[in-house]
Parts: sequence; structure tokens; C-alpha cells
Amino acid sequence: MFKNYIVVAWRNLLKNKTFSLLNIVGLAVGLACFILISMYVMDELSYDKHNTKASRIYRVDSDIRFGGSDLRLAVCSDPMGATLKKDYPQVEQFTRIYASSGSKLLKKGTTFIEETKVAHADSTIFDVFTLPVVAGNAKTALNEPNTVVISESAAKKYFGTVDAMGKGIEVNDEKHTVYKVTAVIKDMPQNAHFNYDFLFSMDNVEYGWGNFLSHNFQTYIVLQPGADYKAFNKNFKQLIDKYILPQAKQFMQINSMEDFARTGNKLEYSLMPMLDIHLYSDRFPELGVNSSIQYVYIFSAVALFILLIACVNFMNLSTARSANRAKEVGIRKVLGTGKKSLIGQFLTESTLMVFIGLIIAIGLVWLSVGYFNSIAGKSLSIEMLLQPGYLLFLLLMPVVTGVLAGLYPAFFLSSFQPIAVLKGRTGKAFSRSNFRSALVVFQFFTSIVLIIGTIVVFRQLNYIQNAKIGFNKDQLLIVNGTWALNTKADAFRNEVGKMSGVKASSFAGYLPVSNSSRNDNTFSTEAVMNEKNGFNMQVWNVDYDYIPVMGMEVLKGRNFSKEYGSDTTAIIINEAVAKLIGMDDPVGKKLYTSTGNANEIISYTIVAVVKNFNFESLRQNIGPLAMRLGNNKWATAFKVSAGDVTALIKNIEAKWKTMAPDMPFSYQFLDDSFDNMYRAEQRIGKVALSFALLAIFIACLGLFGLAAYMAEQRTKEIGVRKVLGASVTSITTLLSKDFVKLVCIASLIAFPVAWWAMSTWLRDFAYRVNISWWVFALAGFVALLIAVLTVSSHAIKAALTNPVKSLRNE
Amino acid sequence: MIKITNLEKYYRTEEVETVALNKLSFEIKEGEFVAIMGPSGCGKSTLLNIVGLLDDADGGSFMFNGIEVAGFNERKRADLRKHNIGFVFQSFNLIDELTVFENVELPLIYTGVKAADRKTRVEEVLDKMQIMHRRNHYPQQLSGGQQQRVAVARAVVNKPKLILADEPTGNLDSSNGNEVMQLLTDLNEQGTTIIMVTHSEHDAKYSHRIIRMLDGQTVTENILV
Repeated sequence: MFKNYIVVAWRNLLKNKTFSLLNIVGLAVGLACFILISMYVMDELSYDKHNTKASRIYRVDSDIRFGGSDLRLAVCSDPMGATLKKDYPQVEQFTRIYASSGSKLLKKGTTFIEETKVAHADSTIFDVFTLPVVAGNAKTALNEPNTVVISESAAKKYFGTVDAMGKGIEVNDEKHTVYKVTAVIKDMPQNAHFNYDFLFSMDNVEYGWGNFLSHNFQTYIVLQPGADYKAFNKNFKQLIDKYILPQAKQFMQINSMEDFARTGNKLEYSLMPMLDIHLYSDRFPELGVNSSIQYVYIFSAVALFILLIACVNFMNLSTARSANRAKEVGIRKVLGTGKKSLIGQFLTESTLMVFIGLIIAIGLVWLSVGYFNSIAGKSLSIEMLLQPGYLLFLLLMPVVTGVLAGLYPAFFLSSFQPIAVLKGRTGKAFSRSNFRSALVVFQFFTSIVLIIGTIVVFRQLNYIQNAKIGFNKDQLLIVNGTWALNTKADAFRNEVGKMSGVKASSFAGYLPVSNSSRNDNTFSTEAVMNEKNGFNMQVWNVDYDYIPVMGMEVLKGRNFSKEYGSDTTAIIINEAVAKLIGMDDPVGKKLYTSTGNANEIISYTIVAVVKNFNFESLRQNIGPLAMRLGNNKWATAFKVSAGDVTALIKNIEAKWKTMAPDMPFSYQFLDDSFDNMYRAEQRIGKVALSFALLAIFIACLGLFGLAAYMAEQRTKEIGVRKVLGASVTSITTLLSKDFVKLVCIASLIAFPVAWWAMSTWLRDFAYRVNISWWVFALAGFVALLIAVLTVSSHAIKAALTNPVKSLRNE
Repeated sequence: MIKITNLEKYYRTEEVETVALNKLSFEIKEGEFVAIMGPSGCGKSTLLNIVGLLDDADGGSFMFNGIEVAGFNERKRADLRKHNIGFVFQSFNLIDELTVFENVELPLIYTGVKAADRKTRVEEVLDKMQIMHRRNHYPQQLSGGQQQRVAVARAVVNKPKLILADEPTGNLDSSNGNEVMQLLTDLNEQGTTIIMVTHSEHDAKYSHRIIRMLDGQTVTENILV
């Protein structure tokens, strides 16, 4: 019996080649999308799971509000970890990662290479995270100063072999420290929330240790099995009173944490499960680029919808073709086949088709995974499909999809009454079906939502790129690492400044793009700080040329100037600070801050207010920020004129080589760095665009088949109309009209849904576009145009057929 | 009205060429009622399609109202057809999705008659065919005889000079068949030229003249009147 099903299914497949092709191609593309996205989602969900203690590892996060500015930190103070372990038996172990020192220059042979995947870590990092050691002893590896643990890749890069134990790596810091390699570990996996090639000893960090008020360390703890982290969070209140309050009292008039809270301030700590970091954490500073659970949901929904569109194609085409199968059903029923076995037969057919589609889909995935990786910023590989769990999923998928797609056609076909179909009384029932119309509406609904989504994402990206951000990011060349030139930094800046094509220059250690250096400090409006007059703000050390080179606008007062001898105590604030301290004209007023030593206060005079500029992503509002004169030569900014920039960079590099032959030359354009802040959005845009196109493609395949079938069904009608004098245009219109109606209905449903979805997405941005009416109009029009083009080819063909032929078919 | 000289039509498949019309010649005058008879496959339907300007001949001459139409393109033929020729088919060929009224209205729409005029003209012809009471019914709700009357109404609503009927009684019982033949006779008496293909000797007796065909040629012509 089953063999008979397969034989009939296979012959049917071959008999209707166009129909089979449309169906299989649609299913294959749909399944390929589904597999790709499921790989993506699996990868997103797999982050950090390779750690054997994964479910017991937590990060200590800090939430601070002081003087109206909020800090949501992924770091806490240096003594926190040890204190937690000492006071609470639930804490099995702790470790800290210190990545605030940024990249390092490492010596290979005679030249230095800039390495970005570097951090300092406690020796306990091996107790917390699972970092398989290839050589060396994990227990002792980072116990002493001047030790470093490196990855296999790093070992090969610097020593040409994995066997790097005991070798030395020189770091271009002030002391030119040589670190000894005490362990080589396997490369950290891509699906981890941090990824380092070099872990240096924590002992080499120069820091004012024991300070509960500075938050600079990523701190992870392992809780005992069975410990509840939410319950554990309650302990922090006690810890604050015991350790932090006494330290705070030293430089600030504060009586109790209750008083502190009553004035609208906040100091809170909480544990973040490590497994949640990748998808739920959006704090500062993160150790890697995190994703968002929102995108996992969006992608999963898109995958499901694309697969549904492909299934809908199958249902549509199968039921539309049912008239052709009716006779077979009639004969089988007359011969005594039951409804059940007919359903079995049709489900076998659909499953067979899905199975063929799946094989092609795997081929498509194999071909497209590289492209998908490039747009989605992932490193997925086809081997992921070979995991046992996924293999089972791949085997079940055609069965589930086959049943999903085949169930309706199976019930529909098997319910024919044999007498009726054999007498040929079928035609009418199949030509128009509300269910089929609903399916087409569904397909276009999905496509239109995806089109609108794509347009909105790209509009927002475009808006960001052209937004008035309060400074001029164009034609700004940043040469990194000029501090390494030491005393030659000024000479370098001056010589490059004289080159043709360079208009102006400034040392620029702080840059108004995220992931640049930041410096947070506490200020007050009165000499004695209390919880009412104190506030947090960014304070950047800049030079005289910084504000004009960056193109920032001075609203009140004046820029720093060498004409004023006292300018070392001058400070320039942004509008946000002026608003925060509630002064209409703050120029001439004073701000106070601690020097770091207890009870030592320094005062600054406000000399200017600059227009607010976005120094973080446009997702955030502009926070309070001030600038003072200082020596930060970390990087140098050159304002260059348009023209031969490539030649200019070559000249600058040549100059660099003469001054620092063993140092790497690295540069960036500020507008590129600016764009990098929105890479996640750009990825989403590209992925949405790709899948929108595919969804439309699959929907069109279905529509193409359906239109062909409709035209065939109405051959007689078209013939009659032509005999009576209908023109080609009027016939084409007649056939396209029904589909146009369906697309219009789909648009009406899609518009509010898309509006709601995209408004939700845009809410994440403090600065965002409006969704204008024309976006909807455009999406509707595109869908309509595609539908009409798809349908009209058949309609025109039908209209051009000689009516004699169609009427002879009687 | 119609003058056909040495008309030829071939059908080709990959291997064989079938001659459907073999140098056929005849003439039909305005106001005549002609029956064309012959066994299946003799070329009757082919001839009717060419005379009805639905199909093109491969050779010979076809004068319609003094104009040479052999070699007219599809557009010109369609234009000539919709103003001058009405069709009645064996299987009625009514459009299932349209009502009686809408079916009859269709040719008027395609010749660009205004809506108000269409209504009066359709009602007039439905009245004449005695199916006015069925104007809002769909074809499948009617008997075969009624359907064929709707088809005849549709064929004459544009007041064509020529009606081509392809076995108009083939799907009807004898009483309904006679009714339809009477309708055609009445139309003929009012001046419409009628060419009818039929297998039925009984129906052929309604005509003035019978053209008998065999293998694409006319064999005999009997004049009945």
C-alpha cells in the first residue's frame, strides 16, 4: 500500500513538472531560510554554555544614580569579589577581569603589533570559567606578576608554535615589561561573551586598590549549587552599609544610605546570570558585542513565517489543482478506498515533496551560509547541522512540514463525492475558494510587513547617519596611539599639520563615539559636597584646538585660550550640565571636585557652554559632559580636506615610520567609527532585506502557480469573452483584478501590524524617525506591482490564446 | 454577403499535415438561412470558425460584405466580428459567474454601448426571448432550453447581420430544440443571415439551402425553398 502511495506520488510529481518545480523551489527556499535562521538562533542561545559551571556563574552589576545622571555598569569595585567570598558562604569562588586599559602593543621580532583581545585577569579565572589548558598549570598560571596566559592562535602568531611555555612577550608600556607565558589555552569559542588571546596577571594593573567607590572590574562569582541568586541580591544592602558607606563618608557629607536615596540618588548591586549576558545585558562596559533577545524573537518569527508562506504555496497549488486529481479520487473511491487511506496517500505526497525540498534546502544553506555570516556578523558553519539533536530536527522537519502543508489539501481532496466528480461536476467548487484567498492574503500580509520593516530600518539608519549630532564627524582622520611617540607626539602633530590637505589638528584622547575612552567623575556646585549638590558627569581632557577641530558649537562664553593664563582651572560644560545644575547663565560660576585624596578639593570656573553633542549612540540621550585642558595624546585628530586622502594617509604613515619605526601605524575616520556604533542595526537591516526578498519570492512562486491555474480554469470564459469582442487588455484586467483585491486586503491588515512592530523597535532610540504614510504606500505599491507582474504574464498569455482553441476543449 | 473562393486550411502536427479545407468555394447572400452538413471531421467547424472571423485561412479568398478579410490581423477581425457576427454554440457557452442579464449585456459592453442604452436593449431582447423573468438567475439555475435562449439573446443583442450557429440544438430535447429553431427562423425572417452547422436533417429543413461537405470540400448543394 505504502509503495503504491510512493509510486503514485512520484509519477504525479513528474507528470506536473511546472507545478512540482514551483512547489519544490518554494519549499526549498523556505526551508533553507528556516534552517539558516534556526542555526542563527541556536548559536545565539548557545553563548557561554560551554562553561561547566555555566548556570552557577553570575556577574556583579552596579546601578548608580548620582546628581541626576544614571550609570548602568557591568563592572563593580575591586574589593567586591573578595568581600563577597569572605562574608557569604554561598559564594564558592570569584574572579575579576580588567579590560579598561584597552589595547596593548606587543613586540614580535623587532616591531610592535597592536593587540585588542587583551585583558588582565585574576588567577581564579580558571576556577570560574572553563578554559581548557593545552600547556602549563591552570592553578598557578596567573599567581605572580609578569605572567601571561595566551591562546593557541596567539602562540602560533608570536612563536610559530603552540609550545610557547616560559617564553617572554614584551609589552610597550612605560617599563617595557616582559611577561612570561605560563600557560597556553585553547582559543576561546566565538559564542562566549568575551574572547581574549592574552590574559595578563592582575598584579600588573596599577590601581588604587581597595577602593569601593570606583567601579572598574568585571567581577564574576560562582554560587554554591542550589543557591538562589535573587535571594542573594538582598545581601548587597548589608554589604553597602558595612563597607561602602564608611568610605563614602570620607569625602562627602553623607549620613546614611536612606538619606542618599531620599534625594533621588541610588547605589545598587545585583547579580546577572552569566548565561543571560549575551542576550539580555546592555550595560557599560561590555566585554564583547552583545545581541538582544528581541532579535532572536524577531528572527524566529521571520523563520516561521517564511516556512508558513512556503507551506501555504503548497496548500494553494494543491487545492487549486484538485480538479485534475478529482477523477483519480473518484475512481479510487469507487474501487473502495477509504477516506483515511486517501488522506494517507496525499500526506505521503506532500512529505515526499518536502523531503526533496529539504535536500535542495541543505544545498542552498551550504551555498549561502557564508553570505549569511557576512551580513549577520556570525560564524556559523554547515557542520552545526550534524549535531545529533539537530539531525533529529532535520528528519522530523519534512514530516511536520509535510503534514502541515498537506493536511488541508488531503482533507479537501479526499472529501469528494465519487459520483459527482466522475460526472464532471467539479469545476465550480475549485475555481473560487475563500480559504485559498485567505492564504494568499496571509502571504502578502507577511511580505508587506517585512517590506515596511526593511524600509523603516534603513530609514532609521539613514537618519542616524545624517542626524545633527552637534559635531562635525566628516573628514576627521584619527591617528591612534600617538601617545606611543612620547616626546615626539607634538612634533608629529605639527609636521603632519603642515602637509597640504590638512586643515587643523588636535590631540583627541576622548572621542564622541562609543567604545572610546571615558572618564566619569563626581562634581558639586558647592565646595562641600553632599547628596543634594553632587552629580556625576563625563570630564574629558582636551586641548585648545579640540572644540574647533570637532566642529562643536560654543553657545555662551569662549573656547580655551592661551591668552588666559588661568585656563588650567577653566572648564567648558555642555547644555546638559547647565540644565542639571539649573543655571541659565553658568559662565563664571564654579564647579568643585575631589582630587582623589581625601578632603582635597579643586575648583573649576565655567568659561563656556557648548551645544549638546551626541557622544554615545543615538539610542541614548545626551548626558552631562565637561571639558578641561589636559594632556591626553592617546590619539590625534586631523581635519583634512576632501581630495586625495589616500596619498595623504601614505604621507602621514611615512612620517610616522620615521618617528616610530617599530610602532604600528593605525588610523580611522571618525564617520566610520560613528557608523560602527550602528553595526547591529545595519545587520538587522540587511538580514530583514534578504528575508523580505525571499518571502516575496516564495509568495510570488505561489501566486505564479495559482494565476496559471486560475487562467486555465477560466479558459472557457476567456474564450467566450473573446468571441464576443473582449480586448486583450480587458481580459488581463479581469484576471488580475481578483489578486489585486487580495493584495489590497493584505495591505490593510499589514499596515497597523507593521506600524505597531516598527514603533516598538524605534522606541529603543532616543533619536528616531517618524514612520511616514508614504512608507506604507510604497510597501503596498511594491507588493501590488509584484503581484500584478506575476499574474499578468499568465493573464496576457490567456488573453492572447485563440478562442477557437479554448472553446474546442469542451 | 459572403463569397469564398478556393479557401484552404491545414493543420500540422510534427509528422502529418491534415487538410481541413481543400479549395472550398461557395457564396451566401444577405438574408439567406444556410445549413452546413457533413460527417464528423469534414471541416464544418473549421469553416464556421473562419467565416466567424475566429480563425485565419491558409489560402484562398474570403470576401465579407465586399471586403477581402483573408489576411486580416487578429485586431481587425475582432473589430469586424463584434459589430457584425453573433454566435450560438451547442454547449451554450454562457459564463457561469454572470447572471442572465449580465451575460446578454456582455457584447454591448465590448462594443462600447452606454449603460442606459444597454439596459433597454438587453431588456428588449430578453423580453422577445421570453426569459425576462429569469434575468437575475445564473446559467446553472436554468434548463437547457432556457440557457440556449439566453445564448441566442446574447448573439442577437448587438443586431448582427450574420448569426453563426454550431449545432444549436445538440444539447437540447426535441421540444426545446424546435423552440430554438423557431427563434432562428424568426430572426431570419426579420432579415438576419444565418449559417448553421448541424447533424440533424430535421433542423436542416428549417433552412433555405443545405451545403453538404466531405473531406474539406462541398459535395452538393440542395436548395430547399
